Amino acid sequence: MRKLKLLLLGFFLLSGQLVWSQTKTISGKVTDAKQGDPLPGVSVVVKGSNSGTVTDADGAYKLTVSEKATTVIFSYLGFGTKEVSINGSLINISLEDGQSQSLDEIVVVGYGTKIKKDLTGNIAKVKGADVQNMPVTNLNQALQGRAAGVFVEANNGKVGEGVKILIRGSGSISASNSPLYVVDGVPINNSSYSGNPIADINFNDVESFDILKDASAAAIYGSRAANGVVLITTKRGKAGKTNFQVNTQYGFNKPTHLRGFLNASEYVSLVREAAINSDIIEGIDPLDPSQYAGSWLQHAERRLTRYSGWSDWRTLETNTNWEELAFNDKARTSAIDISASGGNDKTKFYLSASYNNQDGILIGNRFKRLSTRINLDHNVNDKFKVGFNLSLSQTSAGRVPVDNEFSTPMQIVALSPVTPLRDLDGNLYNSPTTTYSNPYVDFANGKFNSLIYRNIGNIFGQYNILPSLFFRTELGADIQNQNDDQFYGFSTTYGTGSNGYGESDWYRSLDYNINNYFNFKKSFSDVHDIDAVLGMSYQHYNSEYANVYGEQFPVEDLQKLESAALIKGGTSVATNSSFLSYFARANYKFNDKYLLTFSGRLDGSSVFGNDRRYGFFPAISAGWILSEENFLENSNTFSFLKLRGSWGLTGNADGFGDFAHLGLWGGSSYNGVSGLSPTQLANKELRWEKSNQVDIGLDFGLFNNKISGEIDVYNRKTKDLIYNVPVPGNSGFTTQTVNIGSMENKGIEFVINSENVSNKTFRWTSNLNVSFNKNKIVKLDGEQTSVPGNDGRYMNSLIVGESIGIFYGPKYAGVDPANGDALYYLQDGKTTTNDYNLAGDFIVGNPNPKVIAGLGNTVSFKGIELSFLFQGVFGNQVMNGAGGFMSASFDWYDNQTREQLNRWQKPGDITDVPQLRLAYGNGISSSSRYVYDADYIRLKNVTLAYNLPVSVLRKLKISTAKVYVTGVNLLTFTDYPGWDPEVNTDYRAGNRNQGSDFYAAPQIKNISVGLNIGF
Amino acid sequence: MKKSIILVSAFIIIVAGCSKKLDILPTQSIDETQVFTNDANIKAALNGAYDAASSTSLLGGDLQLYSELLGADAEIAWVGTYNQPDEVYSKAILTNNSYVRATWAAAYNTINICNNILKAIDIVDEADRDRVKGEALFLRGEMYFELVKLFGKPYSAGNVTSNLGVQIVTTPTIGDISEANRVPRSTIEQTYNLILDDLNQAKTLLPEENDVYATTYTASAILSRVYLQMADYTKARDEANTVIESGEYILTDTYDKAFNNTSNSSEDILAMQVTAQDDQNDMHLFWSIGDFGARDGDVEILDKHLSLYGAADDRLALFYDNGTIYSGKWLLQYRNIPIIRLAEMYLTRAECNFRLGTNIGATPDEDINDVIRDRVGQTAIPVTLDNILLERRLELAHEGQRIHDVKRLKGSVDGFAYDANKLVFPIPIREINAVGPDILKQNDGY
Repeated sequence: MRKLKLLLLGFFLLSGQLVWSQTKTISGKVTDAKQGDPLPGVSVVVKGSNSGTVTDADGAYKLTVSEKATTVIFSYLGFGTKEVSINGSLINISLEDGQSQSLDEIVVVGYGTKIKKDLTGNIAKVKGADVQNMPVTNLNQALQGRAAGVFVEANNGKVGEGVKILIRGSGSISASNSPLYVVDGVPINNSSYSGNPIADINFNDVESFDILKDASAAAIYGSRAANGVVLITTKRGKAGKTNFQVNTQYGFNKPTHLRGFLNASEYVSLVREAAINSDIIEGIDPLDPSQYAGSWLQHAERRLTRYSGWSDWRTLETNTNWEELAFNDKARTSAIDISASGGNDKTKFYLSASYNNQDGILIGNRFKRLSTRINLDHNVNDKFKVGFNLSLSQTSAGRVPVDNEFSTPMQIVALSPVTPLRDLDGNLYNSPTTTYSNPYVDFANGKFNSLIYRNIGNIFGQYNILPSLFFRTELGADIQNQNDDQFYGFSTTYGTGSNGYGESDWYRSLDYNINNYFNFKKSFSDVHDIDAVLGMSYQHYNSEYANVYGEQFPVEDLQKLESAALIKGGTSVATNSSFLSYFARANYKFNDKYLLTFSGRLDGSSVFGNDRRYGFFPAISAGWILSEENFLENSNTFSFLKLRGSWGLTGNADGFGDFAHLGLWGGSSYNGVSGLSPTQLANKELRWEKSNQVDIGLDFGLFNNKISGEIDVYNRKTKDLIYNVPVPGNSGFTTQTVNIGSMENKGIEFVINSENVSNKTFRWTSNLNVSFNKNKIVKLDGEQTSVPGNDGRYMNSLIVGESIGIFYGPKYAGVDPANGDALYYLQDGKTTTNDYNLAGDFIVGNPNPKVIAGLGNTVSFKGIELSFLFQGVFGNQVMNGAGGFMSASFDWYDNQTREQLNRWQKPGDITDVPQLRLAYGNGISSSSRYVYDADYIRLKNVTLAYNLPVSVLRKLKISTAKVYVTGVNLLTFTDYPGWDPEVNTDYRAGNRNQGSDFYAAPQIKNISVGLNIGF
Repeated sequence: MKKSIILVSAFIIIVAGCSKKLDILPTQSIDETQVFTNDANIKAALNGAYDAASSTSLLGGDLQLYSELLGADAEIAWVGTYNQPDEVYSKAILTNNSYVRATWAAAYNTINICNNILKAIDIVDEADRDRVKGEALFLRGEMYFELVKLFGKPYSAGNVTSNLGVQIVTTPTIGDISEANRVPRSTIEQTYNLILDDLNQAKTLLPEENDVYATTYTASAILSRVYLQMADYTKARDEANTVIESGEYILTDTYDKAFNNTSNSSEDILAMQVTAQDDQNDMHLFWSIGDFGARDGDVEILDKHLSLYGAADDRLALFYDNGTIYSGKWLLQYRNIPIIRLAEMYLTRAECNFRLGTNIGATPDEDINDVIRDRVGQTAIPVTLDNILLERRLELAHEGQRIHDVKRLKGSVDGFAYDANKLVFPIPIREINAVGPDILKQNDGY
């Protein structure tokens, strides 16, 4: 230990000596390449050292550098980064506005950074500035439509809840399909007790999102990277004047669409028609008074009387629009963000505080996030720097039950329009006056509040052992603390009959992570560039959960479990897992033309048995910059052209539990005595899912990079898919977790960025991304070729040769014009039958989109800037699992969707809506009848901003000021007849269970005004 | 260079310290190899077997619900929104019905625990070994009996050596699935033989008293049901008589006291124990109403049923009106579920004595009029087979016996004959896929 101290001391002394070595001075001016204006605050740093400065108000800088220094790096927020060789003492440069996707842009890769030009893998970069202040709660929603191959879908319009993100399609059946999220080097925990853990991140603090898509880019994250990696880099301070930014925003949330249900008059008339039709089937004429008793019509009219409460359905006294009551018509959003950044050449900081408050569109749904961040960098000396990043956030949410609960707001649409909301005393009606329990009662007398504290941060030290070699160590943590507090009053669905229901849930997760790595970067003989990384990482996850719930509260005001007379139950559980990894990467560049990268990661994971614990994940990629070759060097067309190719292997060990390889027994109880019961069938052979990906890409820049883009073709094959193979139930188990299947995703991605017009007053840029992906299950368990839909209302199936979760089941053949029966096709595909059980099975839809696209445009004219993003999803279908209730020919008393008015009424009627029949289930079983095309194009985001002119700013003594109006989901173009085509009902959403609608809330449409000031 | 050596060695130290960190065990579960290692664990597993049998998919309510829904015959109506019970009610069960699937799996889960216990029985303390073995055999026999009643043609349909029962598995699942799990269905006769063997062994092994768990009389009581299904009236009568004569059980003084109890009533021969903390009771959930913490009154009682009772029948008085008529047997939350009551033993004895022309234990007239009808305030009726069976139907109404009585008595419901294909559950498609369609045959009509 003593020796170590001495050595360390010597080492610091040694580094101190460098200061005395020979120096020289460089100076110059940095300007905006487009407008020629001086750029103040540009960071100027000597490559391979910590010494640097920033430009002053006139864009000028002066820097004393070591005699040995060869290169300086200029970088500026929102602009690119430029490396310039030191030839002489005067260096004037101009920086490009970052919107033109400069090839010199720095891209974050795992454990390092790279210049885009030198990339051999596929990384999509989205700048934080592009999504800044977008009024959504989850950064994934902000990324929607902005990157090729990245499919984002919110389950529904509940604020702060589930959002799916798939990079290059679905890679797994049973394990996780989510990418790995890494925030400033810390792989964060992407699971939580409820809500969405990604919504805790304030994305206004984000400098860039770098999405590692192909295996070569991602393989450095080895076993965690099969679904891609989203690297999130937060903003850092720059030396120079302290810069304050203040943003305030206020807006309105509305549903994108209301679908409409029958009104009271239609309801009464159709219910009676349905009842009479059922009576006729039974040979009864209910209109004959002698046959009325015991008829369906009597049943229906009694129900109408019951449902009408105090009012008279015969005179249509009540006409309640329940659908509108599901929504909060005063949903508002507000946000305030304040940040300060600056520092000197020794210490730099970025501080921020943010408040984001969004009312959901559904009654009872709210989201509020308070967050702060401190990022600090300190240069101890020329060789050693330390720093930390720390964010603390508090998210509080008012939640609503999942979509299949009677008490979830959207199920209110099932209630009858003849039912008044309240009785004559002003009390809310509930069952039995309402058809089902009234969600409004749960809203008015219940609460479901979540409070989450989230702390993501790390500290790091970096030591330059040699100018070409540094060692970096990082210690990071992600801590979540969540408390869900629920109380449902005496009249609610959960609380009725038990004098209230209360529940308290506590969840804590701690995820800590250590990274240690060396980075070696050197040029030899001016033509060989080597950039290599060698390191290790250890990560441990722990989560603990406890809850208690009870009933019998004395009064509704006492809502904590202290007051519950009956504690019904409680539990506490914990789980742990860990990863130990070693990784290496080497990049070699020859003559600025030929690029080669090798990487490999050896991962060990606690979630597998002793013999299957380690996996090795290699990748190789190469690039050829053709535009540097003689034959293209002078091309006027191709200003840049690079061909690249990669192959890599990545793994997946997330999403199927921490102990899936063990045969387990757990505690149980009967008669108040504890017991032991089997919980899991063993599989000692369980191992990683492996994803093999080949990517060939072409990066191009045309006409002096006025048009640039990328074309990528990939084939991603996942094998050893973790799959819960059905086993004979007579074993006492139903499934075993086995590596068995394989799946592939093939696709093409196009990215085109263009600078359409650019001059001093007018600038118009566009970017387009279009991605085609085809998912195919290649193998299930080797024996089965199809696993049909596993629940009655949906048809998401696994079929070899088809895409995951494809809709497979009976095909609806319309209505028999003779009798109004719903018809289905027999297996021959031609003959029809009215017996559902005889219907054949067909592929009737695919929930996986064939094409996703985004088209963004930014137009600026003097101080006015208009940007808008269209996002589209094409070639997919959605199944309405609630069709059998809401579009069901009055099989029961649920209110019906409006197309039911087109029902079959008399022989000869040609229609798709079968005859109405109360309790006769005419055509209501799951079939292609409830499968709809769900293509859509959406105006995802539009922002109109006005930047105050410099003359005004000077007077106000501020540096920037912008007023803006921004909107999200303002326009949606679709043929989907439901609420919103972007949907996957939350209670069953999964890898396989996609494209399903079940009383899912439409997406949120927001329009906000804001003011942004910098000084 | 020394500096880098230090850093590299520091790096190696960190790395080396970590590999042990990959050895992580679960906190809520233990490995299967640690379970059957001592007496206490096996007894805990036995309690786990009762817990498994008390699942809502089994004796926790669904078995009874299926029986009543299949036997509805316009006496009750299913008006709930859940498709799975509705398919049972409509006799249009899909092979992927998730309730049916769950019942199959839950029964075999119970059987697997019993098989594990029976394999390790020698580890149990000698003093308790017979009891533990008897309980495991009882539960296994009872589970196979419930399975064969639902998934096989009724015994009364004959052809018991060719009609298919269920798959018989008597070895525990440890480590992996074995060939024992890929077996074809046994015949009805083979399945009944196993049931009789298990229950008869249990009868001799079990004690007379055993808290709320199975006793020798519980085994006898279930045996009397098995023999009734087989129309073996002598044995059914004798088993019922054994239970009655034991004196371990007495009828509650009023009918309503036999239901909605937090602890076993004096006439419960077996009841599933339900508490607020362990509230597996689908009978309450579906048959009661929201005001009592249930769903919305998914099962309604219709006039056709109510009209069967005499005017002052206490059993009629147990129904209640909440806009529609509901069964009061399942009114309250967190109450035990009677599985087999002493009253049934009297009815079985009376029926068998009547059929056989014997008076073992008592005359049918005594059992029916003095015991059963007297308690519910009904005057004596002439003892005929029809009257005995009607009495049975009223006394045991909505307790899960209906369809099995219809089947053994070769009656019909809702236009379906007792041996109709549609009154037999389909083998869950999941099972056929998992075992293979060549091995595991589907029932006719699916």
